[in-house]
Amino acid sequence: MNVLLAVLWKDLVSEWRTGDRIVSMLLFSVLVVIVFHFALPADASQLLQTGAAGLLWIAYVFASVLGLNRAFALELENEALSGLALAPADRGWIFLGKAAANTLLLFLVQAVTALAFALAFDVRLGAVALRFAVLMALGALGLSSVGTLFAAVAVRTRYREVMLPLLLLPVMIPILLGAVRASSALLERGALPSPELRLLVVVDVAFLIVSFVLFEYVLDE
Amino acid sequence: MQAGVLDRAAAHLRLPSLLALLAFSAVYAIAVISAPEDAVQGVIQKILYVHPACAFAAYLGFGLTALGGALYLWREDEQYDRLALASAEVGVVFCTLVILTGPIWARGTWGRWWSWDPRLTVTLLLWFVYLAYLLLRSFTEGSTRAARFAAVYGITGVLAIPLNYFAIDLFGGRAIHPENLGRGSLGAGMGLPFALGMATLLLAFLHLLARRLELESLRARDGFPEPQARSGPARAEGSWPT
Repeated sequence: MNVLLAVLWKDLVSEWRTGDRIVSMLLFSVLVVIVFHFALPADASQLLQTGAAGLLWIAYVFASVLGLNRAFALELENEALSGLALAPADRGWIFLGKAAANTLLLFLVQAVTALAFALAFDVRLGAVALRFAVLMALGALGLSSVGTLFAAVAVRTRYREVMLPLLLLPVMIPILLGAVRASSALLERGALPSPELRLLVVVDVAFLIVSFVLFEYVLDE
Repeated sequence: MQAGVLDRAAAHLRLPSLLALLAFSAVYAIAVISAPEDAVQGVIQKILYVHPACAFAAYLGFGLTALGGALYLWREDEQYDRLALASAEVGVVFCTLVILTGPIWARGTWGRWWSWDPRLTVTLLLWFVYLAYLLLRSFTEGSTRAARFAAVYGITGVLAIPLNYFAIDLFGGRAIHPENLGRGSLGAGMGLPFALGMATLLLAFLHLLARRLELESLRARDGFPEPQARSGPARAEGSWPT
């Protein structure tokens, strides 16, 4: 547990001091929202009523890939990754620390993007803000769990920036599906549907367990 | 390198599996040609003798990939990694056949090439997972590292299949793909070519798998260099061409 907190603290402090990832993720996802404005037909209010959740989650997924690509990039400098691997601690906890940091960053980016999206397209998010935050957190956790595992793999391959989305996108479909369905139900009816919520929780837990176990072999040098 | 049980089995099976495959293929071809034509669908229904059998082989290949990966991580024996690699490659071949034959049949019977049916969607995603798996192997330097990364991804990929299926089945598109064939769902005279197709394509899978395995163990034994990984931008510092 201490290891988790130590790694989380280390990642947050280094992020706080540079701000590289959070700023680039934020700019990117807000830019995606702006791109939506130009990509959608001029009178898109009907489309936005039904598709707002999907559009938002597209921006989230892209932002998470962007952030995860940098999650281990810093660790490559000065062989910091080897230092992490050599730490006398269960590597599963190191994984959880990294994943927690990634989840927090992504969640922050999601919240700001949602705000920008709601303002730009006049989507009423205010009334359901708290429940929407729960959905964003569950989605961020799922994306960041397998995402952190795959990022640790991708960062040590050639074409690492391309490798990560190729690895992640086909595997994270259940999270995306659950999150988008739940979000659009929430926006349309103002209620969280329970099958979608259950799916998200189940997938999150499954991905966390698998990544917790397998991270051991990814870091093994 | 130490030749494992799998390597020896693959080498011994070379001739028997080829002969069995040839014999079965001949009988299979005759059975398919002489099978009665479907009253409603016509000749296109004969894809039935290819398509499900390929799907079975594809899923078998991906299951073996995860199994080989898990055994490799557990035992650290390279023969299991070779099994994972060989079955992923052969699995991709069969999965591609499924994805090619399916739309042909669908166009003839459903009237459209593709439908976002849970089964189709999951198979397509599976195909992407395994292409990414093969890309990951060729983009990773160092054979132990490639083997370990691939094992991790292979296991996660297989675990994602039921989750994907469950999720898409719950909220995804309409299901129009027929369920598994129950008893008596095949017309008279169709059971034999269907069974022969299953057997022949399974044999083809095993034969290709054994050949691919043998190739990989020869490569490991004789110390042949890995096939040159696709050229990419140089990664190590200072290695840019000057």
